Amino acid sequence: MSLQKVQFVEHNTDIIRQCPGTKNHICCGYQTIDLIEGCVLSCSYCILKAYLKNDVIKVSCDRDAITGELDRRIDGSAGHVLRFGTGELSDSLALDRQLRLNEFLVDYFGNKKKAILELKSKWADFRHLLPHLNPYTVISFSVSPQRFIDAEEKRTSPIHKRLKAARLAQDNGCFVGLHFDPVVIYDGFERDYRYLIEDIGRILDPEKIIWISLGLLRFPAALYGQLIEKKRRYLLTGEFIRGEDGKYRYIKPERIRIYKFLYKLLKNIDSRLFIYLCMERADIWKEVFGITINDNQGLIQLFDERIKNLYGGML
Amino acid sequence: MTQTPLSSIDLKDGRFALSYGRDNANLLSSIDAAGIIEPVTLLDRKPYIPVAGLRRLDCARALRIRSVPAVIVDIDEQEALLKAIHANIERGYNIIEKANALYKMNRSGFSQKDILSSMRYLDLDPHEKVLKIFIALAGLENMYKDFILKNTVSLRNIGSFMQFDISERRKIVRSLAGFHLTESTLREIFEMLHILRIRKGKLTAVDIPVMPNADSLRAHLKERTHPVLTSLTRKLKAIRDKMALPPGIDIKVDPFFEKEYIDLVLRIKDVEDVRTALAKISGFADAGYLRSILELTKGTIR
Repeated sequence: MSLQKVQFVEHNTDIIRQCPGTKNHICCGYQTIDLIEGCVLSCSYCILKAYLKNDVIKVSCDRDAITGELDRRIDGSAGHVLRFGTGELSDSLALDRQLRLNEFLVDYFGNKKKAILELKSKWADFRHLLPHLNPYTVISFSVSPQRFIDAEEKRTSPIHKRLKAARLAQDNGCFVGLHFDPVVIYDGFERDYRYLIEDIGRILDPEKIIWISLGLLRFPAALYGQLIEKKRRYLLTGEFIRGEDGKYRYIKPERIRIYKFLYKLLKNIDSRLFIYLCMERADIWKEVFGITINDNQGLIQLFDERIKNLYGGML
Repeated sequence: MTQTPLSSIDLKDGRFALSYGRDNANLLSSIDAAGIIEPVTLLDRKPYIPVAGLRRLDCARALRIRSVPAVIVDIDEQEALLKAIHANIERGYNIIEKANALYKMNRSGFSQKDILSSMRYLDLDPHEKVLKIFIALAGLENMYKDFILKNTVSLRNIGSFMQFDISERRKIVRSLAGFHLTESTLREIFEMLHILRIRKGKLTAVDIPVMPNADSLRAHLKERTHPVLTSLTRKLKAIRDKMALPPGIDIKVDPFFEKEYIDLVLRIKDVEDVRTALAKISGFADAGYLRSILELTKGTIR
């Protein structure tokens, strides 16, 4: 699949981190386990292009250190359920069939039964994990219209495969997550998202969708020049401004319009779906969902309630 | 060193010429007054080929001087080019001259490694991408080179400019000619033009009109690339105009209307100023101006 070099490196002491979040934007409090740094999927908008200095994919997997750190964090988190993921600096599944890095984590969370592991991906193959799966692992997919995938996510699985894989996870007793992230404005995007959400409603069991995130395209300034240089028409159609965190994002009225549009379509599938915004301002939460979330803790509390409802109590 | 007749030198041979955009007036006066003091360097061919001192030779010709002091060298052309480059290294090169040097090295068959290492003494980052920009720069028509030189366009903006096609470059230079352009203004204009080009496929004269100044052009482009932001900015201006803020009170709104709050800034000299300002602000609130401004930041108005 890739010519990129994979390099095994020494254990990094910061391998588990709180998602850094961004200034004045509400973060879900997700924690990242950075087993891999770099990605073979090479999506054109990927922020890793701006952050990582070379094409080498670094793998760091000191299992004892990781489980020790997970124990420390999970046991010390009385009152709410921690959510961990491996998809921050890489794709959780793209290399996993070869590297088998997730198996021990899936087993760990299955045995621990106190926290949730989310494997986020655009790669639709996790069959090697089927014997290990348990309700404490959430299989999540980024979802985008196929037209966008063809243009900007060329090495990833097509959307129908991602949705089929999500259904497979549901059929094997897992909850799945869906991430509409990045949502991108291009000519005809509304129609494409309408079809996509119809497909989701037809293929997946909404009761086994644990959460759905909505996040409109945003990226650091360093990537903006690269997108212009590479003439990424799909990515540059909308109206961008510099946010308070220095990142480029669509102007607020556009964000609100699109979030409302997607929210309505998704709620038509099932009004009980848990939908949240990824890295958005409090006033956007208020305008789109009509609820007041003032800070990260407010959103973390919503997640705790969601997990409590689905798992029948705090883990 | 020999005294060499001008007639034995091929003055039209510019294969080692690097100078660009230099005014010969002072040099001409100096040579007229004192003659050529520093000998020129000539390659030993028939006729001789100028290696270093081409501007001095131009002046000599203009002054009808018959012979010039010269050092004749019998070396290969690569060595001669290096000699030409190093002859003026102390004086320093402008960006076009650096481009000429690198372009000529490339054309003379120097290895990429040698060219990259020579970039260091030209005070340039030895990167392939930078080299590519410089080689393309040397091949530009003079009207573009003059524009770049006159506006001291940065390497970053040159790279951005090079991404436009020939007909677009011509329109851009025509539109920007005569403006006072700062680095950031130029960057912003190029960025907006690239966005328009990516969205539309090609820039036309409507996208790059001739405007009275750089700010007008920037506003014209902004309206096309950022219609919502432009509309919000206009609405804010209309409210501010109605408010007619007194000198001691200012209202600061996030230029991108992202922040859901606004800052009210007061300048006071004494307690009475505070009372006056608060009364004024209270009047703005009663008249609905502050609410109207806050509405603009909520993302519900376009």
